[in-house]
Amino acid sequence: MDTLVLLFNLSLRNIVRYRRRNFFLFAAIAVAVGGTTLSNALIRGWQVYMLETAVSALTGHIRLQAPGFADDPGLDKAFAADTDIRLGEDIALAGVAQRINLPAVISSERETRGVALVGINPAQENISFYRDFVMEGEALTGPADGRLVIGKALADTLQTQVGRRVVVIVEDADGKSRERGYRIAGVFDASMQWPEQLLVFTGLQAMQQSLANSRLPAPVTEVSLVLQQEENRQLAQRQLASQHPELVVKDWRQMSPQIAEIVDIVDATMAIWFVMIMGALTLGLVNTLIAAVMQRTQELGMLRALGMSDRLLLTQVVLESVGIMVVGVVFGLILGVAMVFGLGDGIDLSAFSESVEAFGMSTLLRPVLNLEDLFLFGGLSVLLGLLASYFPARRALKISPLMAMNR
Amino acid sequence: MTEFAETSKATSPVVECRGVQRIYQQDSVPVYALRGADLTIHAGEFVSLAGPSGSGKSTLLNVIGGLDGFDAGSVTVGGVDLAALTPAQLAQTRLHNVGFVFQAYNLIPVLSARENVEFILQLQGVASQQRRSRADRALRSMGLAELGDRRPGELSGGQQQRVAIARAIVTEPVLLLADEPTANLDSKTTSELLAVLRDLNQQQGMTIVTATHDPIVMEYTSRQVTMLDGEIRQDDGVTA
Repeated sequence: MDTLVLLFNLSLRNIVRYRRRNFFLFAAIAVAVGGTTLSNALIRGWQVYMLETAVSALTGHIRLQAPGFADDPGLDKAFAADTDIRLGEDIALAGVAQRINLPAVISSERETRGVALVGINPAQENISFYRDFVMEGEALTGPADGRLVIGKALADTLQTQVGRRVVVIVEDADGKSRERGYRIAGVFDASMQWPEQLLVFTGLQAMQQSLANSRLPAPVTEVSLVLQQEENRQLAQRQLASQHPELVVKDWRQMSPQIAEIVDIVDATMAIWFVMIMGALTLGLVNTLIAAVMQRTQELGMLRALGMSDRLLLTQVVLESVGIMVVGVVFGLILGVAMVFGLGDGIDLSAFSESVEAFGMSTLLRPVLNLEDLFLFGGLSVLLGLLASYFPARRALKISPLMAMNR
Repeated sequence: MTEFAETSKATSPVVECRGVQRIYQQDSVPVYALRGADLTIHAGEFVSLAGPSGSGKSTLLNVIGGLDGFDAGSVTVGGVDLAALTPAQLAQTRLHNVGFVFQAYNLIPVLSARENVEFILQLQGVASQQRRSRADRALRSMGLAELGDRRPGELSGGQQQRVAIARAIVTEPVLLLADEPTANLDSKTTSELLAVLRDLNQQQGMTIVTATHDPIVMEYTSRQVTMLDGEIRQDDGVTA
């Protein structure tokens, strides 16, 4: 331990001794680490946005439906609204939403469109994008509200507006088409085209009353759950599947496989980005550290001449390399975190809105700092520093004390 | 660690070289640095290895110190056959039994004078309190008691070489090897330093071998060995 303190002390002083060279080395590491932290936070922000979008698009982390509903949706594949949803105490729920979600046809005086008529309890929709809709007119007041809320794009297509009446045709529980007139309470702006075109909302209870039969007086076609921690998704899915073998329990990855793939690709992209940046940096570090060892050939040779063992010499060179890396990484992480906080309000990409939406991104890209990423990134960087020290250390061990003395 | 045999008796040889050859390959041409050197050094001797550049004096010193190998012959230091030691054992031998003083001082620039002296004790695993007192004692014996906190860059050449000697003797080695220790010093400092080495030899009985081409050095040593072309040509310690 005493010897380790000595070597640490020696390494620290050597780092300070070549302060100019090491300053540039620290700066290079810090800029690389800081830049990569920021870019990772932006990529992670995009990933989180996509995940939130996927989850909030009426799917939740987990959704329960009757078998066959996904392929052929209809009220004949509904289940009772009082179906018990219970998770273990170790899984915290952010919210649960019951809905009826049926294909329907909506007609105004001028146009007709196919849509999804969704019966909701607005109080439960704090887990979906419904909560973020910017409403013109009025929002639904509760599950018994029998009015409609439609998207702005659909309102434009139907050439209708708040306060007007539209007709919706939907199949009831007995398989008969029911036609009913609705007044438009509000028109929502979803900042995305597809919900505005496709989704039409009304009160769940009102919809149940108009479509139910005596067999299932309060039907729902889906129950969505959002968990506090997404990591509990699979555990929750298993628990619900065993509780409700009569229902199909899917997680968001199964419901939105394309987004799941993109999220995975993003993870891989971050790893590749990290390897590329840090790989280049490591090569630079190796080069500088070898130069540093060569510069101190006489000193290292003298240490060997005095009787310093190979193990201690190796430890000293490694400590110096890792020390440089640790300092650079710490400064880099601080720089990266500062930049992330500096961009806390996000980067406005509205000038490129069309291209940005094509990539499933919001026009406001907010960096997301993930502690796990920071620790992993910091840890891997130090590990790379350790690997980078191998070559200079090997070079140091090749120094003959005699050669060093004769320089 | 390689244990040295008891060498304190004046009659027992500390160093025994027999027919030592050292051959370097220069562009595939063998160059004989040592051509069968025979040398016996007893405990308490202060020996100068003199000779012109290329005579083999530094090579012989390096071979004795275990810094360089040899191609033929035998070298025993403190009764231990150096040829039988692994590089790690040689390092241990140097650490525990041989003190080195180099021409270029070779102090660790980032450590203070005291830390430089303590450093080698720390490598030996000596406890911190003992280390400090031994380092201070060694520095005091070199007249550097007040300069322990200074770094090498803040010391004169003579002072640096005294620190190097303090570092070499702090471990109480069996043998002190000095390679051209005064080459970088002016004549006044040279005389002072040689007086220090002579005191170490005469008062503490330390066995010292120094390579030099400086005639002043030979005035201070008790035995002069002259080398030429890798051979020992004259040794005033050898009686016919």
